[in-house]
Amino acid sequence: MAILDVQHLVKRYKSGTLANDDISLTLEPGEVYGLLGPNGAGKTTLVRQVLGLLRPTSGSIAVENVDVVADPGFARRRIGFLPQSQLDLQSLHVDELIRYAARLRGMPGNEADRRTEEVIERLDLEEFRKTSLHSASGGIRRLAGFAATLVGATRLLVLDEPTNDVDPLRRQLLWNTIAEEGRGGTTVLLVTHNLAEAERVIDRLAIIDGGRILREGSPASLRSLVTEQLKLELSAAGPLAAHPALRADPATAGAYLFAQADLGPVSGWLSTMREIGKVTDFRIGPPSLDDIYAVTVRQHQPARQLEAAL
Amino acid sequence: MSAAAWVLRQYTLLVNIQIRSMRAAFWFIMVIQISFAAGLVLGLGYLIPDISKETATYLTVGAATQQFVTVGLVMLPQFITEAKTLGRLEYFLTMPISREAYLMAQLSVVAMLALPGVILTLALGSVRYGIGLSVDPIVVLVALLAMLSLAGVGVALGMACPLPEVTNSITNLIIFYVLFFAPVLVPSSQLPWVLQKTALVMPPTYAADAMRATLTHLPDTHLGSSLLVMAGFAIASSALSAVMIRRQG
Repeated sequence: MAILDVQHLVKRYKSGTLANDDISLTLEPGEVYGLLGPNGAGKTTLVRQVLGLLRPTSGSIAVENVDVVADPGFARRRIGFLPQSQLDLQSLHVDELIRYAARLRGMPGNEADRRTEEVIERLDLEEFRKTSLHSASGGIRRLAGFAATLVGATRLLVLDEPTNDVDPLRRQLLWNTIAEEGRGGTTVLLVTHNLAEAERVIDRLAIIDGGRILREGSPASLRSLVTEQLKLELSAAGPLAAHPALRADPATAGAYLFAQADLGPVSGWLSTMREIGKVTDFRIGPPSLDDIYAVTVRQHQPARQLEAAL
Repeated sequence: MSAAAWVLRQYTLLVNIQIRSMRAAFWFIMVIQISFAAGLVLGLGYLIPDISKETATYLTVGAATQQFVTVGLVMLPQFITEAKTLGRLEYFLTMPISREAYLMAQLSVVAMLALPGVILTLALGSVRYGIGLSVDPIVVLVALLAMLSLAGVGVALGMACPLPEVTNSITNLIIFYVLFFAPVLVPSSQLPWVLQKTALVMPPTYAADAMRATLTHLPDTHLGSSLLVMAGFAIASSALSAVMIRRQG
């Protein structure tokens, strides 16, 4: 049984803006599903509809086979949500936020206490349990919000940019926890821009722009779409006229993409550049998810601009 | 657990969350509210040096009523707009909680902040001007209806305003209206015809009348009809609140 099943979802606002245009996606138990897209792509609109905060114009959304457009209360009971903005509950302490989240989800006091302690330990928040949210750093507030989402023990988690403001060490902990949740059977819908890190935990992802899903699949399958491409990252000693086979990588400054067929000429050019000291270091490898994302969105932009003009 | 017990539990939790989340500022806001109420009663005495007992009674009860307006039409919309702007409202709306419990919790917290000011206004006015106020238990019902009749408009205002700055400007205007242009502090007979007629559709008019009827022996009060009108406003206002919060999610 799919945990989340979205079919032919369309959302047109009263202003006429088409925010979601025939979106379909299915999330299986234990799957970590990434939703990627530029600002204004329609991700937040999609998430708000899944959470029952917005009514779709047409299409269906089912959580555990229950139509949540007709019964948004079911979505609220079954989905744990971490919003993109920081939870601004001022003087509330970190442990209070977590415990109240559990209580509001219907847990009896002793169970809420037990789950709170568990989550505090798991996310290494012991030192901050009595810190008020307004005096906590952005990263700790984010982690506290994540803990409050996790404590509900829901089968579906919707996490909107969970790593915003979090320092590298705690980000690692957060990604590990998301991966553990997935392995434990919790389904995760993850909205993120942090592709390089999210790649480790994502089972499948959709690249969304202009309200449509442009590409969907596992990171490996999406990477295979650009197997004919290679990525070159180089350090130059000064201004450098690039080889004609190289195209600037839209995802990484100072990096280039080129066709595998051009590996020979590019390697020859690199050797020459290194010998004369113009290139100090370089690395050739497969494109990252960031590259796939950037290439996909760029490929579809001319078509979108044409559609908008028409 | 019955549905009513479930909603009551959520309400209690939400009141707790609200109070704890503003624990640093809770007492400060309460003191400011009390100071405002005290200042109003004492200041009006300076404005009218030879104030008669009847006028003093009118002003004291009017100033107390003004505190209810502060709860429903000033503090509540400010709380709601702030919650909306900071994403707090959306967070709670994604939780499996009753929307009505959420709104009642907000209203209860602002009432807790304002009620000491009401009591102090009455006590201070009584001592300062030597007026006798009778304490009728019906005043509790009057206070409840006064707040509920205003809360729906307050919630609608809070939901409709895009920014806290806009809400603050509108609520300042409301205070201004209640202070000088409504039959709350000023007797209706002293207001021009237009304001007398517009006052008929303003809930503070009836709250002030019911307060005068229960606490004083001032003439020309209509407790029964004021309670009825306030109950009507309270029902319409609660329905409006429910609609507004459901439109939000």
